[in-house]
Amino acid sequence: MSLSVNNLSKSYGDKVVLENLSFEIKEPGVYALLGTNGAGKTTTLRIILGMLAKNNGEVLWKGKTLDPVSTNVGYLAEERGLYPKYSLLDQLLYFAKLRNVPKQTAMDRIKYWSDRLAVNEYVFPPKVKGRKVSKSNRADQLSKGNQQKIQLMAALLSDPELLILDEPLSGLDPVNTDLFKSIIREEISKNKFLIMSSHQMPTIEEFCSDITILNRGKAVLQGNLNEIKKSYGRVNLFVKSDVDIAPYISSFGLTIAGKTPSEYHLKVKDENQAMEFLTKLIGDQIPIVKFELREPSLHEIFIEKVGDAHEER
Amino acid sequence: MKKGNLAGWKDVFSFTLVQTMKSKAFLISYIILITLSLISMPLVNKLFSNGNEDVNAPSPIKKVYVYNNTSLQNIDYSKLLTEENMSHIVFETAEEKYDALSKKVDEEERDSVILTITENESTFSLNFLKARKGPVKESHIQALGDALAKQFQVLRINTLGITDEQNAMLNAKIATSVSAADVNGEVILKEDTSISMAEYWFIYGILFFVLMANMLSSTQIATSIITEKSTRVVEYLLITVKPLALMVGKVIAMLFATLLQMVSMVIALFVSNQVISGKGSGGLEQFLPKDIFQNLNIINIIFCFILIMLGMIFYATLAGLAGATVSRMEELNEGLTLFTFTNLIGLYIGLGASSTLVGAGINPFVTFAFLFPLSSPFILPGAILIGKATLPLACIAIVLELIFIILLFRFVAKVYETLILHNGNKIKVKELIHLSKTV
Repeated sequence: MSLSVNNLSKSYGDKVVLENLSFEIKEPGVYALLGTNGAGKTTTLRIILGMLAKNNGEVLWKGKTLDPVSTNVGYLAEERGLYPKYSLLDQLLYFAKLRNVPKQTAMDRIKYWSDRLAVNEYVFPPKVKGRKVSKSNRADQLSKGNQQKIQLMAALLSDPELLILDEPLSGLDPVNTDLFKSIIREEISKNKFLIMSSHQMPTIEEFCSDITILNRGKAVLQGNLNEIKKSYGRVNLFVKSDVDIAPYISSFGLTIAGKTPSEYHLKVKDENQAMEFLTKLIGDQIPIVKFELREPSLHEIFIEKVGDAHEER
Repeated sequence: MKKGNLAGWKDVFSFTLVQTMKSKAFLISYIILITLSLISMPLVNKLFSNGNEDVNAPSPIKKVYVYNNTSLQNIDYSKLLTEENMSHIVFETAEEKYDALSKKVDEEERDSVILTITENESTFSLNFLKARKGPVKESHIQALGDALAKQFQVLRINTLGITDEQNAMLNAKIATSVSAADVNGEVILKEDTSISMAEYWFIYGILFFVLMANMLSSTQIATSIITEKSTRVVEYLLITVKPLALMVGKVIAMLFATLLQMVSMVIALFVSNQVISGKGSGGLEQFLPKDIFQNLNIINIIFCFILIMLGMIFYATLAGLAGATVSRMEELNEGLTLFTFTNLIGLYIGLGASSTLVGAGINPFVTFAFLFPLSSPFILPGAILIGKATLPLACIAIVLELIFIILLFRFVAKVYETLILHNGNKIKVKELIHLSKTV
């Protein structure tokens, strides 16, 4: 059971927006699509979902061409959308009906997710005296965060096998970010396939095992995140000391990648050079508060891969 | 257009219909339309009767005292009033002095009036005097005056020794006509196909009814599509339904809602008319062509319904396409330019054809208007109901309209998928055509 994207291409006239993109999700989990704005992430997701016609390539689900209508797919779009004037319950029931969810099942799930996401008072507003329906059950009366919750609920109503989340955490406060993260973890634990597009690198590192970095419609880096990081080696050294260690850094010929008042971020050639540097500091009885050698972060890898190209535009 | 492209349209239809009918805008416009229809007949009746009593009711005037100061003597007044509601009025030559008689009429005989006929060099004047208070109103005097004036001309001619037959000959209209001869020299008889003003107004009424239905449904469809685009709801919907199914569901739902409004309006108008007719006042019948009900049979009604519905489907699809070319609600009017322009072409051809029917009858232009898919939904239903369009002609118009709709749908199917996800400036017609060729 897997999702396989093979040689996907899309162009508008002469403008190529996606060029021979391929990736595979073999095991349940979260796959990340990264890229700058306009790199082709949303186009890829729209083609997978059958919204956009592709010029070339195929999307396979369990070995067969993916039909989003018959396959149980959930989608949280980057640009949130709800009918502003219709009641939330009506819209949710409509979205469920389009996904062939029986009405009673849909009602039960709406109740469950309303409780879970703490939007019960909007989806099932208490009857206001003298009025049949309160206005607070309309999307245009909700905050952005609450609208996002309703949309996540819409994506989860059919209990999808494949869940596509385009920037799921953007614009959320820390409390709701944690709530969304817990729901994503819950979906992962149910052995579901998730594709996530995000600019928040820590979130990607937290959830995703495999990634594709897109730049101008082309995949510039693909694979398992841990292996990618390993391939870069542990070349980032973070040193914090109570005394000034600048003379030692220059004598060792180390590059300063960043500096805060109390901490240096240094680039080393390899682990041996870091060990030699540590030995020297200890030998000279320099008080060390922090000495951390680690792989590059996804953020650094991302900047390295698409940063320069992005600036060239 | 694959069958799969339409899967899910029923869900879109039912949701759109329910939400439309629950919306405040729909409910308010519905109530306004029904109220207007209900009060229309009493209002029109009141306006056309100029606030007066029923003209067909018996006149309250019982007696007319006459002072005849003209050279026309020995007038038989009993022949003057041919109207049924005035046949009871008695004429009497006044013997008393005018002042005394006028006092008597004002105080005692308030259902009598005084008529003074005078003669100048070229004018006969009929002067009436009525009681200040009493059953006789201005309108009754006006009706009596009109009835007398109508017959007074005949009376004058008869007095001169000219018989009614001679008078009729003198007043006969002179008409000219040009006939064409066929190859054998036989005269080709041409049927007069022109229509009366009453028939013209009837066609005009139906034309505006269709226009109103078109505008109502089409604007709602365009608004609905732009709302889904601008709020990005469309991205959710497109996972489960194809763009064409979305549009078909919407178009049918809006047409259904508009049809409900229109049918309710017609029923309310009918009820209003029945109430007015029941009270003895002239209802809608007084404004309709006299022989209209001869053509009002089930087949003609079905043909008219099909034509109007096909027209609405065509224009609604066009409005849906126009709505999809823009991304923001503020651009609605700009987006609807194509729809409005096409609608106006159809409307003006229809109007031109109905005016031509009054003056020249059926000619090639009128036949073109009957058949042209943009104008046929406006003009043909009215023409069928007044018997100026044959059913074979209506069949051809329906076939042409269907071909137009299929062509439009094929075009829409090509470009709609791209349009619905387009977010940016309005797409122009030229770009639409280019898009249809490249997709």
